[in-house]
Amino acid sequence: SVEKSGALLGNPSNSESNENEPEGLTFYHMDLYDSKGRLEIFPEEPAGRGDGALGETSKEPTGPGEDYRSSDQSAYDLEKEVDELTKLYGLDEDKEIEQELLGGNIATAGIFESKETPAHKEGVAAGSYELGSDGSEEEAADIYCATCKIPIRAFDKLFGDHKDHEVTQLANAVESAKEEIQKNMCKLEEQVTEMENFSSHLEEIFITVEENFGRQEQNFEMHYNEVMQTLTQRYEEKVDGLGEEKKQKLEALYGQLVSCGENLDTCKELMETIQELCKDKEKADFIKAAVPVVDRLGEFFKKDMDLELSTLPDFEDTVIDFSDVQQLIDSINTIAAPSAPVINPQAPNSATGTSVRVCWGLFSDDTVEFYQLYYKQVSDDTPSEEQAAPSPPIIKRKESRSCENAALVCWESGNMNPVDSYTVELSKLTNGENGDIITESIVGIPNCEALIQLEPGQSYIISVRAVNMGGPSERSEPVSIHTTGTYFYLNEDTAHPLLSVLEDGLTIACSEVENLECDLAFRDNGFTRCIAILGSMIPFQGKHYWEVEVDENMEYRVGVAFENTHRHGYLGANSSSWCMRHIVTPARHKYEFLHCGTTPDIRITVPPKRIGILLDYDNWKLSFFNLDIAQHLYTFNSHFQHYVHPCFALEKPGFLRIRNGIAMPTSITLL
Amino acid sequence: CPAHFPLLRHHGPSARASPPLAPEVPNFCIKIERSQPAESMALKQISSNKCFEGFQKVFEHDSIELKCKMRFGIYLPPKAEIGKCPVLYWLSGLTCTEQNFITKSGFHQAAAEHGLIVVAPDTSPRGCNIEGEDESWDFGTGAGFYVDATEEPWKTNYRMYSYIKDELPKLIKANFPADSERMSVFGHSMGGHGALILALKNPGKYKSVSAFAPICNPVQCPWGKKAFGGYLGSDLTKWEAYDATHLVKSYPDSHLDILIDQGKDDQFLSAGQLLPDNFIAACTERKIPVVFRLEPGYDHSYFFIATFVNDHIRHHAKYLNA
Repeated sequence: SVEKSGALLGNPSNSESNENEPEGLTFYHMDLYDSKGRLEIFPEEPAGRGDGALGETSKEPTGPGEDYRSSDQSAYDLEKEVDELTKLYGLDEDKEIEQELLGGNIATAGIFESKETPAHKEGVAAGSYELGSDGSEEEAADIYCATCKIPIRAFDKLFGDHKDHEVTQLANAVESAKEEIQKNMCKLEEQVTEMENFSSHLEEIFITVEENFGRQEQNFEMHYNEVMQTLTQRYEEKVDGLGEEKKQKLEALYGQLVSCGENLDTCKELMETIQELCKDKEKADFIKAAVPVVDRLGEFFKKDMDLELSTLPDFEDTVIDFSDVQQLIDSINTIAAPSAPVINPQAPNSATGTSVRVCWGLFSDDTVEFYQLYYKQVSDDTPSEEQAAPSPPIIKRKESRSCENAALVCWESGNMNPVDSYTVELSKLTNGENGDIITESIVGIPNCEALIQLEPGQSYIISVRAVNMGGPSERSEPVSIHTTGTYFYLNEDTAHPLLSVLEDGLTIACSEVENLECDLAFRDNGFTRCIAILGSMIPFQGKHYWEVEVDENMEYRVGVAFENTHRHGYLGANSSSWCMRHIVTPARHKYEFLHCGTTPDIRITVPPKRIGILLDYDNWKLSFFNLDIAQHLYTFNSHFQHYVHPCFALEKPGFLRIRNGIAMPTSITLL
Repeated sequence: CPAHFPLLRHHGPSARASPPLAPEVPNFCIKIERSQPAESMALKQISSNKCFEGFQKVFEHDSIELKCKMRFGIYLPPKAEIGKCPVLYWLSGLTCTEQNFITKSGFHQAAAEHGLIVVAPDTSPRGCNIEGEDESWDFGTGAGFYVDATEEPWKTNYRMYSYIKDELPKLIKANFPADSERMSVFGHSMGGHGALILALKNPGKYKSVSAFAPICNPVQCPWGKKAFGGYLGSDLTKWEAYDATHLVKSYPDSHLDILIDQGKDDQFLSAGQLLPDNFIAACTERKIPVVFRLEPGYDHSYFFIATFVNDHIRHHAKYLNA
């Protein structure tokens, strides 16, 4: 039957049947996603129709009758195979799949016959080949000759040049070729990535080279200038020196010259006088005149004529000291000694009784190998008798704030004279006792406030001492701090005139506005329109939680705001405040979550009476909860650029109670 | 797909027909595996993909309630390898299958983070050969409406309410590390309606419920009228038993925290199919806690769901992990 198929599909005898020329390389659609044009896989592509288009044939069959018989037989074999496969995979009599199988993987079933179309199966008279839509092509290559590395027809294997060659399934060959290519593709991709990385690395190095060059250039220029300046200086000094010397010599010589001249004049004058004298005939006059002259001569000869040169014309040979220039020149090539580090001033809480923490900074590009630290104890254990120890400070209780992890304690100095520093002492209470045992002290505090790190869920007693040359003061009156939650106080300076804080310090009330025209006493730092008040700033990182209790019909705004939020504005109407607002309209309760004057559209069916407010500095969130039902209402996601203050406002007469210093309920911790 | 074999698909009794206006028909490479030894609740794994260190799987089983093969997606978070996890059920909307939510919503990261098993069943029985089941996309196939039908020819197969309420949880409990005491439900559109009615009809069964653009008041909207008419006949009391707005009115005062997100630019909202205002009014009246968020610019699509799904998962995690 192979022979017959060969006859069916092979080249008719009138053509070069021995030349292995498959009629176009077609790949059966084993993989629906492959494109048809995969012919490049085979390196030596024989001439022929290489587009893999199905349904093309160039060869006419030999004769109808012969074909018909043969087609029947082949078709029968095929059908059996198909049935087997169908059973194997539990497929239906699905025409589509059948077509696929017929058009496809016959090779995998180990049949070396070429494919037939369903048309053949139905025994269509073959005047010409009627190829189905996915029918195979006659004379198509269906196996692969590994020896020649080309696809060939099965027929050729058995009867052609490739008789003794090694063959393999075309599909397998395709697979392995594809694999090979894929592998290489991957390698190529890797290479590309490597090179890209390398090139961007090179770019960086490029820039670094520039930078290094710049630095070296600068350094050299500086040193070189120094050298030049020093040389110029030496030159000028030398020249000046020489000039000086010259002047001196000339002056000396000139002096000599002048005195010489004087002597000369005197000589001449004496000579003239003597000459005159000798002319005189009268003996008595001559003697009278001659005696003083003789005296004078005597005097004159006594004078010491210094006819030696006072100075030599030669100048001294001086050696100019270029040692410092030499040093400079040498230093161009050496690493300069680093500049001195700068020690930071002592930070609070950096010392204990036996240790101190020193920090310093180095403000240059110097290369440093190590630091050497020197210390010297300045004895102060004998307090100077002149100065008395200061008085204890007074802690401002109301203005001290705390949260779970820290406390901010403020105090008044308590002294008229300035004080050197303050020391804060803490006692951590265990079961309410041990308040006398100082667990920690913080020294060297320069100002009247301290931010102290504490452990959550504890109670502390904190006091302060003032310190000066005379020693430390007595302890101040202590203050208790409980790190159970965030505590803040209400800043009455910021309150609108109609808003008052009740005695407990945490309830606010809005009075009736009876007469809008009556003069309200606005505070300098207070709100003027929004009936609001700010709490003290929360200056600690992390999460902070407080609660608000309201009546169902209260109209309020609660949230947070920056220190500088507009006192003439409304909470939530600007970019420096965030708040939840509740008002009651005739139809329903209306809730808004305001920031920059806008709110999302949110409906809440159960009006909250107890509202939990969670401020999370770390994650930049401000959340609101209905505590009675542990319901999350809304969360602002806003990057708080500064620390914020809690803020509260009432829009009509009523009360609002605040609770703080409490732990977050577990029901809302997960968010 | 191995290059040797063509795509093979295991067909049911007859092929699935795609609904005419279906917006989503996913294309997946499906691998056939031999099913486990026969048990009464045998599950056949259809696919498994690792995702955020957990696994998104799809299973198929023979449903007793629906009397046909049903598929569901299930996401097992990394924590499920160590111990039992709570289960969150997602109910999809009209025309969806078990694929849409697991491929489009991007919920996996949040589910992995909070250690929740997420189950996404199909929206109706399939391949039941009921006349007219594929005629419209808002009734029949892909539109089960999470009810137990009482009318012919639907009543044999269209029992999605019981399937989701009873059969599926039992199946999940028997085959996965699920904590059966802790489950919640949420969904989108028709699935939002399903989630709400399941929670309201079974007080205490679900720890929390939430919805995206739910059909809140089906007896008043065209979709509901068509579906209920077809599945439940003309008796309005039967309709009301599956209407969230009505159910709220008689909900006993049990703890329930409902979160609803609704796209403001949702075409079905303006077409009067969703009617959230009615539901909110009823909840306000009955003091059932609801937070309803109207999101500007968002529509009815999975892009809207993907935007807010993390908020919903967190909402459920708060109760499921408590």
